[in-house]
Amino acid sequence: MPAPKPSTLGPLQPNRFRPPRGQKRVYLPNFTLTLLRTPFAPPNYATFLTPLHLNKLDLKDYLYNLYGVQVLSVRSYVQQARVRQDKPGARLPKPRRWYRPRASKKMTIEMPATSPFLYPDAPTDFTPWDKEMQERALEAREKEQKAMGAEGSRLPKEDGKTLREQAEELLKGKKAWRPGWTDWDLGGRPKGEVGAGVGM
Amino acid sequence: MSRILPNTRLGYLASRNGPPVFLAPSPFLYCQTPASFSTSSPVAQRRTRRKHAPHPNRGVSALRRTGLRNPVEMDKYPLPVPVLDPEKRSKVAVDKKHGLWGFFRSDKKALNTPEETAAFGRPWVVEELRHKSWEDLHSLWWICCKERNLLATQAYERDRLKAGFGEAEILERNRAARQTQKAIKHALTERYYAFEDARRVAVADPEVDLEAEPGTQAYTPIYSDEAALEPQYPVNQRASNSSAA
Repeated sequence: MPAPKPSTLGPLQPNRFRPPRGQKRVYLPNFTLTLLRTPFAPPNYATFLTPLHLNKLDLKDYLYNLYGVQVLSVRSYVQQARVRQDKPGARLPKPRRWYRPRASKKMTIEMPATSPFLYPDAPTDFTPWDKEMQERALEAREKEQKAMGAEGSRLPKEDGKTLREQAEELLKGKKAWRPGWTDWDLGGRPKGEVGAGVGM
Repeated sequence: MSRILPNTRLGYLASRNGPPVFLAPSPFLYCQTPASFSTSSPVAQRRTRRKHAPHPNRGVSALRRTGLRNPVEMDKYPLPVPVLDPEKRSKVAVDKKHGLWGFFRSDKKALNTPEETAAFGRPWVVEELRHKSWEDLHSLWWICCKERNLLATQAYERDRLKAGFGEAEILERNRAARQTQKAIKHALTERYYAFEDARRVAVADPEVDLEAEPGTQAYTPIYSDEAALEPQYPVNQRASNSSAA
């Protein structure tokens, strides 16, 4: 029998981690975890967006076996979604047909203080994503939707100012009115300078 | 004075011959009252709160940040000041092999560009997976799981940052991972159906003994036409030899 090893001085806070003894046999899991950015949490804490059916033991087992992350403790939180009227994507959303979207579940794990993790920094230059172009596109779409909406006809028109100027010029006799079709030849091509005349 | 004035008779005379009565000193002002006699120290008295006494913590408010009424031991030490500037905080050393890096690509960037996301091959197809072992298929499934976790993390971060375009690339890559998973299930289902069919045939086959112990003979050819084929198939020959022995 070999002599027992001399005991060494351990750390002041021993590693509380115990490997999970997974008894639930899941061979082909079909869900996703989303690692969230938590800048105000200590670096040895990490938060995930998880499916609602996942429990704390499952998460601990999953992270240990798939990622090799030692989880000391888990906190979970289910966030109820806000009630809305009718389901998303309904053709004609009916008022007062209340619908509550599915809740979301967040789980925060505690890792040993010796293995902190920081979410990497966000990019500062969004040129590869064409951010400005998308913003302009969204803005234009919103404008178009507003114009097509119920209040669309009451919105001020973009060419209202120039129309007013043209009407005033006509009323003061600075410009003579002529029918718009005279600006076009029979082949449908503009005849001379179109912008000079006053349109229909 | 104190000896004379308590005499009311003298006081009366004084009112007649001297100053008026209301100007005279009060007869009770100088009268000697007996001192309370007690040998116990006043600090030893019982500290019970009287019914209408003020609350001992009166005026102490956390909302108004008044502080405590009496100094405490901790007053000798200054309070720690929070570091509001994130750049001045002490740096945290993150292990390069930390497990949570599995939620990011090898370049350890929070968000990959659409070009980087779109640069990938193609999903596995069933024809390729039919020849793989269960261990290979199982590993491939878990690789797909990790990839989908990564893509979900990046999609969430992209939404949060309002980074711009790039959603379609993430969805496309996620679709490829899901198609691979679908192909894995397809191959496994085929394998299971083949096993079931083989088992059904074996149950009906009198040559096959399904309840044979492992390591013993489970297949015993009994038909003569198979014996005629012996010279052409060494496998059958070996089986017949062992059965003969």
